[in-house]
Amino acid sequence: MASRARVLMTVVALAATALIAVSCGGDDDDGGSGGKAKLTFWHGQTEMWADCLATQIAEFNRTHKNIEVSSDTGGVVADRMLQKVTAGLQAGNYPDVAYVFGSDLANFAKSDKLVDLTDSDKIDIDAFYPAGRDAATVDGRVRAVPALIDNLAIVYNRKLFKEAGVDFPNDDWTWDDFRATAKQLTDDARGIVGTGWPGTGDEDTTWRIWPLVWQLGGDILSEDGDTVGFDGASGEGALSYVRDLSADGSVYIDTSAGSERMNQLFQSNKMAMIATGPWNLPDFVDAKVDYGVALLPAFQGEHTTIAGPDVWAIFDNGENRAKAAEEFVGWLTSAEQNLTCATQAGSLPTREDVTKLDGYQDYVNSLPGLTKFVDNLQNAQVRPTIAEYPQISQAMGKAIGLMLFQKAEPADALQDAVDKSNAALRVPGP
Amino acid sequence: MSSEAAAAPPRPLAKRILGETPSAWVFVAPAAVIIVGLAIVPIGWSLVLSFRASDLLSPGHSVGFANYDALLDDPDLRSAVGHTLVFTGLFVPLSIVFGLLLAIALNRPIRLIGFYRTAILLPFIASTAVQGVLFSYIFDERFGVANAVLDKLGIARQGFLGDPDQALLVIVLIALWGGVGFSVIIYLAALQDVPRDLVDAARVDGAKRLGVLRHVVLPQLMPVTVFLVIWQTLLSLQLFDLVYATTRGGPLDSTVVVVYYVYKQAFVLFNAGYAAAVAYVVAAFLIALACLQILYRRLSARHA
Repeated sequence: MASRARVLMTVVALAATALIAVSCGGDDDDGGSGGKAKLTFWHGQTEMWADCLATQIAEFNRTHKNIEVSSDTGGVVADRMLQKVTAGLQAGNYPDVAYVFGSDLANFAKSDKLVDLTDSDKIDIDAFYPAGRDAATVDGRVRAVPALIDNLAIVYNRKLFKEAGVDFPNDDWTWDDFRATAKQLTDDARGIVGTGWPGTGDEDTTWRIWPLVWQLGGDILSEDGDTVGFDGASGEGALSYVRDLSADGSVYIDTSAGSERMNQLFQSNKMAMIATGPWNLPDFVDAKVDYGVALLPAFQGEHTTIAGPDVWAIFDNGENRAKAAEEFVGWLTSAEQNLTCATQAGSLPTREDVTKLDGYQDYVNSLPGLTKFVDNLQNAQVRPTIAEYPQISQAMGKAIGLMLFQKAEPADALQDAVDKSNAALRVPGP
Repeated sequence: MSSEAAAAPPRPLAKRILGETPSAWVFVAPAAVIIVGLAIVPIGWSLVLSFRASDLLSPGHSVGFANYDALLDDPDLRSAVGHTLVFTGLFVPLSIVFGLLLAIALNRPIRLIGFYRTAILLPFIASTAVQGVLFSYIFDERFGVANAVLDKLGIARQGFLGDPDQALLVIVLIALWGGVGFSVIIYLAALQDVPRDLVDAARVDGAKRLGVLRHVVLPQLMPVTVFLVIWQTLLSLQLFDLVYATTRGGPLDSTVVVVYYVYKQAFVLFNAGYAAAVAYVVAAFLIALACLQILYRRLSARHA
C-alpha cells in the first residue's frame, strides 16, 4: 500500500513539474530574426464573424510565409477584453493584436506597450473614414487601427407594427413620435414592449444618450476640454426624455449582464423597436425577424447619432513581432479584407475605397437595412478618446438608471453626474 | 591531520540549505511554485499596489496612505459594505437553519434517500456562473417563470433582479439555492456522529422527539455550527461571481458588494491602487474572522 502511494505521488509530482515546465517555457518565442514570427490574436468575436476571421487567418498564414498568426483566440470575448488585456499587460503576457472598444483605447494608450503607429509604413490611417480615424487617435498620435465602424439607428419589427396598425417610421420622425409609437406598440397582455434600454449603468447604458445630448446642443466635453459639456439644458432635456419614456411603461429595462436580453426579446418578436447597430443585423436575419431600419429620431431637424468605432490595438512583444503584427493588421484592414467579413460581422465599410470594390453592391444587398446604416454614418459623432471617459460614463450611467427607475429628478441626477465627471476631469494625468 | 579527523565532519553546504532529506524538495517544489506564484506573490504585490496611484497600465507613483484615507469617506464604498452586510446577515443564518432542517429530514431511513441527498447536493456542485444565468432567466421581470407563477396565483408581478429594492434579496435566494447543500453535507456527517446511546438514553428517560433534538442533538452539533457560521460568513463577504453573472452590480448599484466594488475600481475605472487598498481592508476582516474560528477551536479543546 505504502509503496503504491509513493509511486503515485512521484507520478503526480513529476506530472506537475512537467506542467510547469511546459507552461513557463511554452511560448516565449519572440521570433528571433530570420525565424517565423508567431502572433497571438485576441479578436474577441464569436459566431459568424469569428468563423470568417478564422478563414482570414488561414489565408494570411498561407500567403505570408514568415508570419504565423495563431488561431487560438485566448478565449476572450470583446466585452471582457479590457479586463483581460489589462491583467495580461500587468503579468507581462499579452496578445500581439487585440480588439479594443474605442472608448477604452485612451487608457491603453497610457501603456508604453501599446505600439505607436503614427509613422508606420504598413498602416495608412488616412484611408479610413474620419470617425474611425478619430477613434484610433489619442493625443494626436495614431495608437490603433479602425476595426469596425458602426452607429446607432432604430431597428423596428415590421410584423408588430402591422399587427398594431401603426405606420412604419419615416426619416423625419421626432423623439415625440418615437415615444408615442413605443407607447402604442406596448401590449402588456401579449407581453410586447415598445422598446428597451440597458439598465446596468455601464457604458452600454450611457452611450445611447449622447445622440440626444448632441441634438440638444450639448457635448460630452466643453470646448476647452476642462469640464463636461452636457450640463444645463442639453443634459437635462436628454435625461427628462428618458424618464418620460420610462414612465409610459413602454421601456424594457434590461438589467441582465451584457444587455443580451433586449436582443433576445427583439428576436422573439416581443420588442417593437430597438436602438442598435449593424452588428445585430446578421442575428436578426438568422432569427427570421421581419425588420426595418430607421434613422434615430430628432428633436429639431438633425438626426445626429453616435458611432462607436472599435479598433485593433497592437502590443509590443519585441520589435520583430510588433512589425509582423503591423503587417498583419495592415492586411486585415485593407479594403479587400474589410469587405470579406463585412456581411458576417454586420459591419460597415471602414474606408472609402471599400465602396469602389466589385463586391460592394452584393454586400449592401446581403443584409436588409444595411444601406440605412451606411447613410447614417454622415450623421454620426464619436466619443472623445480621453482617459477620464470611463468615469464620465459611470456617472452618467447612474443618472440614466435613476431616470429609468424614476428615482430622481432629472436636474438633480444631472448635477450629480456633472459634478462627478468634472471632478474626474480635474485629476491631473500621469 | 588528526585534529581534523577528530572534529565532526562539516555538513555539506547542500545539506545545510536543503535539510536532511533534500529529495523531499523535489516533491514539494511543484506545489510550492504554484502557491508562491499564484498566491504569495500577488498578495505581496497588491500590498505594494495599495500604497500607489496606479492604473496597471502606466508606471504610477507612490501616495503613502492616501488610498486608505480615501476609503474612509467614500459613500459608494459605504453602500457596498452595507450590501455585503445585508447579504451576509441573511445568507449565513438562513443557509444554516435550512441546512440543519434538510439534514435532519435526510438523516432517516426512507426510500430513495440516496436520490434525495443527491438532489439537495446537486445545486452546490453547479458553477455559480451557471446558476446566475439560469436564475436571471427565471427571475426575468417580463418573461421569467417566476412571474408567470405569480400570475397564476393571482399575485402582482415583481421586478426581481430588475428592481433596485429586490435585486439583492433575489441574489440571497439564488445563493441559498446553491449554498445550502454545503451546510446539509456537513450537518449530515455530524448527525451520524451523534452517539446512538446518548439518544437512546434520553428516550429511555422519557424525552420526546423535540426534546432529544434540543437537549441532545443540537449541543452535539455546536462545533460544526460554529465552523459553518464562520465558513459561510467568509464566503458571503467574498461574494462576487453571482453578482457578476446576474446583475453586474445593477440596477442602480443596488447589488454592488465590496468585492464587486474592488473589481469595478480596478478594471473598469482604472483605480487599481485604491482597489488594492479596499481589498486589503476586506482581507484584514477575513483574517480576523478566521482567527476567531481558530481561537474557538483552541478554547473548546481546552475545555474538553
